[in-house]
Amino acid sequence: MLTRRQNLLETIRGGNPDRFVNQYEAFECAPDVPMFKMLFFDPYTMSNPFPAGPGAPDVVNSWGVTISWPANVPGPFPLHHDGLKVLKDITKWKEVVKAPNLDFPQEEWDKYKPIAGAVDRNEYFATYVVAPGVFEQLHYLMGMDDCLLAFYEEPEALKELIEYISDWEVRYAKLICENYHPDAIFHHDDWGSYKSSFLSPEMFAEFIVPAFKKIYGFYKANGVELIIHHSDSYAANLVPFMIDLGIDIFQGCSTTNNVPELIKKYGGKISFMGDIDNGVVDKEDWTKELIEREVRRACETNGKLYFIPNTTMGGPMSSYPGVYEAVSEAIDKMSKEMF
Amino acid sequence: MAKIDEVKAQVEAGKTKLVPGLVQEALDEKSAPNDILQAMINGMKVVGDRFSAGEIFVPEMLIAAKAMAKGVEVLKPHLAGDAATSLGACIIGTVEGDLHDIGKNLVSMMIGSAGFEMVDLGVDVPAEKFVEAIKETPNVSLVACSALLTTTMPSLKNTVKVIKDSGLSGFKVIVGGAPITQEFANEIGADAYAADAGAAAETAKAMVN
Ligand code: B12
Repeated sequence: MLTRRQNLLETIRGGNPDRFVNQYEAFECAPDVPMFKMLFFDPYTMSNPFPAGPGAPDVVNSWGVTISWPANVPGPFPLHHDGLKVLKDITKWKEVVKAPNLDFPQEEWDKYKPIAGAVDRNEYFATYVVAPGVFEQLHYLMGMDDCLLAFYEEPEALKELIEYISDWEVRYAKLICENYHPDAIFHHDDWGSYKSSFLSPEMFAEFIVPAFKKIYGFYKANGVELIIHHSDSYAANLVPFMIDLGIDIFQGCSTTNNVPELIKKYGGKISFMGDIDNGVVDKEDWTKELIEREVRRACETNGKLYFIPNTTMGGPMSSYPGVYEAVSEAIDKMSKEMF
Repeated sequence: MAKIDEVKAQVEAGKTKLVPGLVQEALDEKSAPNDILQAMINGMKVVGDRFSAGEIFVPEMLIAAKAMAKGVEVLKPHLAGDAATSLGACIIGTVEGDLHDIGKNLVSMMIGSAGFEMVDLGVDVPAEKFVEAIKETPNVSLVACSALLTTTMPSLKNTVKVIKDSGLSGFKVIVGGAPITQEFANEIGADAYAADAGAAAETAKAMVN
């Protein structure tokens, strides 16, 4: 039997996988870490305030963004009402936006080396989670409406801010690579709704592509083998850019993308992870039958190569307890049947 | 091109700086204020249809809505009575527990530009607050509820139930949001569902007429 890591490489390189890659299994390199089961331990992330859990008090994070996680809500959320927006006027970004400090003493970086060091790199990719992404950081700072309007109203100021954020991220990437040597980066940046990308492909190319060229280019040049990009959305119109950016796996790929069609068109250049929508399976009245039906559809229509069956969620978890595990079980069944 | 057609074209193109001046010029040319308004509404309908068809994206829609809003500012003093809001008031909000508002805002802009007077309750709106707003607002013809999380679908269901059980009448309830389907809307007793902001405006108009 191939290791999880080998099986994933066979799948995305058009080789001979011996089963489906089961959701995040090849990236869950730190099984004891709650939620993500991946790496995100470094002095910056550990000192960046984050709500302790649902119902915990709001916090102001290291970019100045107020983050809230009310009880009964599946995840944390930036607040923008009542003057809480960090950036109210994009033309004044230089006065207002201060990227967080990354100058920690070396001992601080060393502290977390044992976690990355403990990863069984034969079985797993040592996968580092990076979130939020550049586009997300923009709307965390400004709110979504102001952010999207700025693409028309203040394109130059917006480009400067994007450059400032991405330059900071490259500095962060350098420290991560030097200290923890990840094999894979699991990078969030949501680029759309289920029906469309937020930006037109032209605008995306002009504003967002240059930022990720720098960031993903840096990771690839510094020992990172795989880039997994999370955008749980429609983004079929952006796939050519993803390929150009060096993204190996588009995670969060919703059914609205017509994944079988994408595989036909782009398989070999990029792989698709998802096609099981949380909106469909991760709800109050979920059943094993529903999940098995969805997983069967996804596995049968997409086939064994360039495809990783997975919910669209941005991590190995679900909003309703048991859903993620039920999807994994159903995928195992499909592997027995199809391989 | 007649000024009034230019108004429509520049609303479609989202020219926030040009539209107010063009509206003024159309007024100076003695175009009827209601016709100018109708031209802008028609422009937004084109925008909504192009968004539904995937030809334009969220920023294009936001900027067009902003252009129209700037035009309406110039036009407002010239509109007779409440002609701008002849379709009645629409109460809109994102249901309790849910803080997503991009979709709701777009729907609000489109329904507003179709001729409703919008009362936006914001996000995380408890069912009771919808009911209060219906009581307090004159001439409510439509209530629109948005939910973006599967975890707030039960909250949407409850909201519709509380509104329907309140005994208040004279309005329709429309629901939407990414995980919502026509079947779910039927199941929870909503009067209508629409998949996107363009369709929401069309459905809203059709329902109150
Ligand atoms: C942007 C976004 C956010 C932003 C929201 C910013 C804002 N101000 O709204 C941020 C980052 C803050 C956020 C936070 C969270 N999010 Co969120 N988010 C999204 C994302 C990427 C896009 C949603 C969006 O704005 N779409 C753009 C608009 C234009 O589309 P739309 O909302 O679908 O609206 C259209 C139609 O649905 C319809 N419509 C909408 N409302 C209505 C109402 C009526 C009456 C009608 C007729 C029509 C209608 O018309 C609209 C316009 O055409 C989605 C993923 C996705 N692919 O949808 C996740 C998503 C909705 N979020 C999700 C989650 C889990 C969260 C969080 C809990 C945690 C997190 N960290 O991700 C918190 C939620 C906190 C809370 N209590 O609400 C999940 C939900 C999963 C589930 N189980 O349902 C999604 C699906 C992503 C995922 N798979 O993980 N999110």
